[in-house]
Amino acid sequence: MALKKKRKGGKTVVNIILGVICLIWLLPTLGLLISSFRPAADILQTGWWNVFPHQEWKAAGETIKLPKDVDLRGPIEVNGKTYTDEQLKAGVEVDGSRLKWENRRARTISVEKQGWVTSTDLTLDNYKNVISGKEYTLKNADGSATTEKGTGLSQAFWNTLTIAVPATVIPVLIASFAAYAFAWLRFPGRKTMFVIIIAMLVIPIQVALIPVLKDYTSLGLNGSYLGIWLAHTAFGLPLVTYFMYNFISQLPKDLFESAFMDGASHFTIFSRLILPLSVPALASIGIFQFLWVWNDYLVSLIFIGNQPNVQVMSMKIADLVGSRGNDWHLLTSAAFISMLMPLAIFFLLQKYFVRGLMGGSVKG
Amino acid sequence: MKKTAKTKMSLLMVACLSLTMMLSACGSGGGPTDSAAPSGNTNNNNTNQTTTAAAGSELDKALKGEYKGTKVTMFGPFVDADQKKFESSIKDFEDKTGIDIQYEGSKEFEATINIRVDGGSAPDIADFPQPGLLASIAKTGKVVDLTKVLDQDKMKQNYNKSWLDMSMMDGKDGKIMAGIWNRSNVKSLVWYPKKQFEEAGYKVPQTWDEMMALTEQIAKDGDPAWTIGIESGAATGWPATDWIENIMLRTTTPENYDKWVKGELPFTSPEVKHAVEVMSKIWMNKDYVYGGTKSIVTTAFGDAPKPMFDNPPKAWFNLMGNFITSFFPETAKVDQDYDWFYLPPIDEKYGKPVLVAGDIYAMFNDRPEVRAVMQFFTTGESIKTWVQSGGVIAPMNDASLDWYQSESDRRMAKLVQDATTLRFDGSDLMPGKVGAGTFWKGMTDYVSGTATLDNALKQIQSGWNN
Repeated sequence: MALKKKRKGGKTVVNIILGVICLIWLLPTLGLLISSFRPAADILQTGWWNVFPHQEWKAAGETIKLPKDVDLRGPIEVNGKTYTDEQLKAGVEVDGSRLKWENRRARTISVEKQGWVTSTDLTLDNYKNVISGKEYTLKNADGSATTEKGTGLSQAFWNTLTIAVPATVIPVLIASFAAYAFAWLRFPGRKTMFVIIIAMLVIPIQVALIPVLKDYTSLGLNGSYLGIWLAHTAFGLPLVTYFMYNFISQLPKDLFESAFMDGASHFTIFSRLILPLSVPALASIGIFQFLWVWNDYLVSLIFIGNQPNVQVMSMKIADLVGSRGNDWHLLTSAAFISMLMPLAIFFLLQKYFVRGLMGGSVKG
Repeated sequence: MKKTAKTKMSLLMVACLSLTMMLSACGSGGGPTDSAAPSGNTNNNNTNQTTTAAAGSELDKALKGEYKGTKVTMFGPFVDADQKKFESSIKDFEDKTGIDIQYEGSKEFEATINIRVDGGSAPDIADFPQPGLLASIAKTGKVVDLTKVLDQDKMKQNYNKSWLDMSMMDGKDGKIMAGIWNRSNVKSLVWYPKKQFEEAGYKVPQTWDEMMALTEQIAKDGDPAWTIGIESGAATGWPATDWIENIMLRTTTPENYDKWVKGELPFTSPEVKHAVEVMSKIWMNKDYVYGGTKSIVTTAFGDAPKPMFDNPPKAWFNLMGNFITSFFPETAKVDQDYDWFYLPPIDEKYGKPVLVAGDIYAMFNDRPEVRAVMQFFTTGESIKTWVQSGGVIAPMNDASLDWYQSESDRRMAKLVQDATTLRFDGSDLMPGKVGAGTFWKGMTDYVSGTATLDNALKQIQSGWNN
C-alpha cells in the first residue's frame, strides 16, 4: 500500500515537470499564434499578451495645459509640484492618477487613470497575404497604377511535399535493408563498413556541398527533384541506418532462428517479420527525416534553388519578408501554415508510438 | 543453408536495383527537371559565340528575334516586391526578343553565389549589391571581361565616368570590366515629415551649422530631432557606416576617401576620428535622438522612421537611402506627407558630395543571348518601369527625368547627375572582413558604449590585418 502511494506521488512530480516543460515550449508558439492574427502595426507596438484583459493607464479625458514657453530642460511645475522632463516622459503617479506628456511640443500633460483594457483588434490579413500572395502596386508611364498579385504558398507547398515524401521514404527503406544486413547477416567487412557509416554521422554536410554541387553540375542534376532526393537521402542515411540498426538488432534472436527453421529466406524474414515489427521505429525515424526535409533550407538553397516551379516552403517564406526585411510580420502566419503539415504527420503516426513495441510477438 | 542465403542476397540486390531504377525513371519523368537545369547546357553553347561575334551588336540581333527561344539565367538578391518590379521591367524585352530571362532571387545571395560559382553552376548573369563581393570573385578569373562584350564608346556616353571607373576590377590577368551598373540608390538623404515640418515653421537647412541649429531648436520645442536605428540582424551597424561615409566626404578630400576605402588611410587616422566625432555630436546627445543614444543599437533601421509619421511627429529626421520608403506607412504620401533634403555640406571646400550605392551585374557565361541581355541592361529602358514604380534611381544617362513619377525621385536623380563628387558606399567596397565585419561591429560597440572611440577605431582597423 505504502509502495503504491509512493509511486503515485512520484507520478505527480513527473507530471508537473512535464507540464512545466510543455508550458515553456508552448508559450512562444502561443505567442506566435496570437501575433499571426494581429495587424502589423500592433505587432510592432505592443506584445501579444496585450490581447488578454489587463490593467493599463488610460487617458481620463483631462489634460493640463502648461504655458508654451516652459523650458523642458529645467524643472517643470505642474499643479504646484515640480517634476523633471524624464519623469513626465515615463509618467509620474500622483494620488492614484498618472501624469504623462500628451504632447510635449504643445506642452500638454494628460491625466491618466488605471483601467481594464483588451486590444481585440484581430485580423486575417497576415494569412491572406501569405496564402494567396501579396499585392504589389506597379506604376505605369501615365501615372496610373496596376496591382499585381504575387504567388501564394500553394505551389511551394506542393513542391515541398514532392521533395519531402520521396526524401523520407527512400532513405528509410534503404536504411532498413542496411540495418537488417548489419544486424543479422554475417559477411566480411561488416564491422568496418558499419564503423564507416557511424563515422559519417559526425561529418557536417556543409563540407560536402561544393563537391556534390560540382558533380551535380556535370550530371545535369542541379535544380531537379531527383538531385535533391538523392542529396537528402545521402545526408540522412547514416543517422537513419544507425537508428534502424539499434532497433532491429534488439529484436529477439529466437524469432529469426525459428523463421529459418521453417525455411524462410532473408527477404521473407525482412518483409514478413522485420518490417511489421519495426513499424514504431520506422514511424519515429520517418517523422524525424520528414521534419528535417520539410524544414530544410540549406540543402534546398544549394541544390534546387529558388525558381518558382521548384521553390520549397522554407525559401518562399524567407522571401516573403522582402529584400530588406520590411514585411517580417508575415512570418508569424507563414510559420503556422508551414507547421500544419508536420503536425498532421505527427498526429497520423502518433498511434504507432503508443502501440506496444513487441506486443506478444515472441510466443511458443 | 548457405546457398539459400546467397540467392536471397541476390534477390535483395535485385530489389534494391529495381528500386533505384524506378526512382531514376521518376526523376527524368518529372516536369521541372529540364527547365531548371540549364547549367548543364551552357558548356555546349559556348562554342557558338565565336561565329556571332562580328557584325552588329547582339542586342540588335536579339531585337530582330535571332535568339528566340533561348534562356538566360539570372541570380540576385532582390525578392518579393523588388522581384515583381524587376520582372515587369524586363517583360517588354522578353516579349520582343523571345529570350526567356529566368530570374532567381534569394535572400541568401551573398552566401550562395560563392558556392554556385565554385560548384560550377554559376548563373549567366548575377546581380551584386556589394561590389566588394564581385571583386573577390573577379580575382578567380571566372567573371567574363566586358570590355569586348560591350561597345565602350556607347558605355562612355551612357554612364558617368565614376560609374565606369567603379566597374573596373582586378581580374586574373590584369584589370577587367567586371560588371555594369543597373540600378542605384542615393544615401545622402535626410527624410522628414514635410507637412508637419512646414506647419511647425521650420526651414530646410542648407548648411551643417543650420542643421545643428535646427536640431537644437526642435529639442527646445520638445522633440528629439533625429530618429536613428542601426539594428539589422546579423548586419547590425551598417546604417552607422553610411553616416561616417557621408561625413567623411564632407570633411575631407575625395582622394582621402578613396584611400580610406582602399585601406591606405587607417581608421585610426585623425580624418576618420574627426568624422565619428562630428556624428557623435548628434548621436551621443540624448536630447537629439529619439529614445536616447541607447536605443540606437536596439532599434531596427526599418522601424526607425516610424515616429516621424505619428501625429504630431515624435521625431523629425532620418538619414537613410531612398529604399527606406518601402518601410514608410502605406498611407503616407510622397511629396505631401514626407520628403527629403540633401544632407548639407560641412566644409564648403568639398562641394556637394553624394554617396550612392547600387547593383552591379556581372556575366559568367559568354553566349550571344547573354551578351544581348547584358547590352540591354546598359540602357535606361531596362529599368524604366522600375523607375516609374519608385524606389530606384537609374544610373544611365539615357534614362529620362520624366520617368520618375514623384518630384522626390526626380530631385534625387538630378542630385546624382549634378553631384560634384560621386562616391560609392565605402563599406560595400571594402573587403567583407572590414566593410561587412569589423566596421559594423566597431560602430555598434562604440554607440552602445562598450568601447571607447579610440578602441572602436582600432578594432575596426584590425579587420584589415587578417
